[in-house]
Amino acid sequence: MTAPAIIAILVFVEIPFLMSVMYSFTRWNGLDKVPKWIGLANYRELLTADRDLVLAVVFTLIFTVITVVVTNVLALLLAVILDSDIWGKNVLRAAFYIPNIISLIIVGYVWRFIFSRGFDSFSALTHIGLFQLSWLGDGKLAFLSVVLVSVWQSIGFYMVIYIAGLQTVPREQLEAAVIDGAGAVGRFFRITLPLIMPSITVCVFYSLSNALKTFDVIFSLTFGGPGTATTSIALDIYRTAFSDNRFGYGTAKSVILFLLILTVTVFQLTGFKRREVET
Amino acid sequence: MKRPHAALFLTIPMFLIAAVYLYPLILVVINSLKTFAEIMANVVALPTHLSLENFSNAFVLMKYPNLFFNTLLVTVLGTSGVVLLSAMAGYKLSRTKTRYSWFVFLLCVAPIMIPFQSFMIVLVKVAKTLHLTNTTYGLSIIYWGLGVPLSLFMYHGFVKTVPKDLDDCAFIDGCRPLRAFFQVIFPLLKPVTVSVVVINAMWMWNDFLLPLLILSGAKQYLTLQLAAYNFFGQYKVEWHFAMAGVLLTITPAIIFYFALQKHIIKGMVAGAVKA
Repeated sequence: MTAPAIIAILVFVEIPFLMSVMYSFTRWNGLDKVPKWIGLANYRELLTADRDLVLAVVFTLIFTVITVVVTNVLALLLAVILDSDIWGKNVLRAAFYIPNIISLIIVGYVWRFIFSRGFDSFSALTHIGLFQLSWLGDGKLAFLSVVLVSVWQSIGFYMVIYIAGLQTVPREQLEAAVIDGAGAVGRFFRITLPLIMPSITVCVFYSLSNALKTFDVIFSLTFGGPGTATTSIALDIYRTAFSDNRFGYGTAKSVILFLLILTVTVFQLTGFKRREVET
Repeated sequence: MKRPHAALFLTIPMFLIAAVYLYPLILVVINSLKTFAEIMANVVALPTHLSLENFSNAFVLMKYPNLFFNTLLVTVLGTSGVVLLSAMAGYKLSRTKTRYSWFVFLLCVAPIMIPFQSFMIVLVKVAKTLHLTNTTYGLSIIYWGLGVPLSLFMYHGFVKTVPKDLDDCAFIDGCRPLRAFFQVIFPLLKPVTVSVVVINAMWMWNDFLLPLLILSGAKQYLTLQLAAYNFFGQYKVEWHFAMAGVLLTITPAIIFYFALQKHIIKGMVAGAVKA
């Protein structure tokens, strides 16, 4: 009964992954029958002579830090508001969740329309300078655009997980704190926040790993541009392998991406798990 | 009914924020109904007269029915394969307690930690060798391998809550293991099955990178997302067609979402929290 599952996983994930590690020590253009063994040359190149990869790593890391913080803070804030007995909360929850149903490739495209045609009209109507800037043409602004669009698309997902977490906080504890004279802010930081630590662990984990492998939204919003200003590691790997046909070198980069994500998430999980408390 | 003032006080700002939040999508709807000249003149303004012409044009230009069918086929075949493989294996591995089964379990769930981008290059080569590229069936089969680890993990955890006596009863009644599983156990796993279906279906329907790598050479087998991307590239400045195309592409997922909202939210939370 387990055989079909094991075969599928081995053939489509684990063997390709192990072969990637092997190919990362070779020169291989995808057509050769036998890739040429070149030892650590790929790794030497990517550590010392690949400016594009360095830029992609820097972009990915800054992008990750900003999106993880902004997404989680905003999603938690929304969750707290929409978990209260505010009127129309189901409609509001659905509204903030909608962007998450749309594929990132479409989201990127919709925003390309907003940044170009939409902003032209906004600036004609309001004369606000913000709308006249070149949000996809300038490197720094394009970075902010990618952050904005990624956060916009993903917030609903994390909001939903936080709402589920908030619903596990026992009412008695909060009521006891009210009687003890704790204010709303104090209650949130001293009771609610420690108790929903498991949700925070999960959300930070997902937002971290999604940000570190971000691809689709950039592919359709900026295609890594202008220049290489918004090229993520995943997009750089894609280009190395499928545009430049340097498959061996691409696999070396993908091994680096794997190690990066593994290290970051393992650190995050152990660090966050330690802070989780029992009810 | 009396409501707390604070909550009421927040309602109006929150609805305003939600409206701004969804404004990009509202603009898509408005502009999908306009003529090209109207879009170029002013994006914000409402269309002067209602016409669904953009939709019928985009429908034909994209070859929408064909794409819809391809994507549906991939999603259905992919999802049902994942459900079948992961339910059987998750059940079996949860019931057998040997060192060997623990090792197999780890082997099956370890890929949760392997990002797709770190093996996609070789996966394409493997898929070519197995003649799985440029076909809908091939793509769905590849999804089995990618989807099973997380789903198996979810089944594995849930099976523990199903009393083992039930298996024994079925055996005593003379059921073979496979039949006992499908007739007795599988129906009891329905809560996880719903989550697994939701997570996998939403993912496969919206996925872009894998179809891009596997299907790019076969025009007749493209999925919606992939074709939409090509379509936008082709009609880069013809925003009126493109906006209608966007709506045609996202509508099925939105309908699916509103039809199964409760299950989807529950499934997404379960999938995220259990992993």
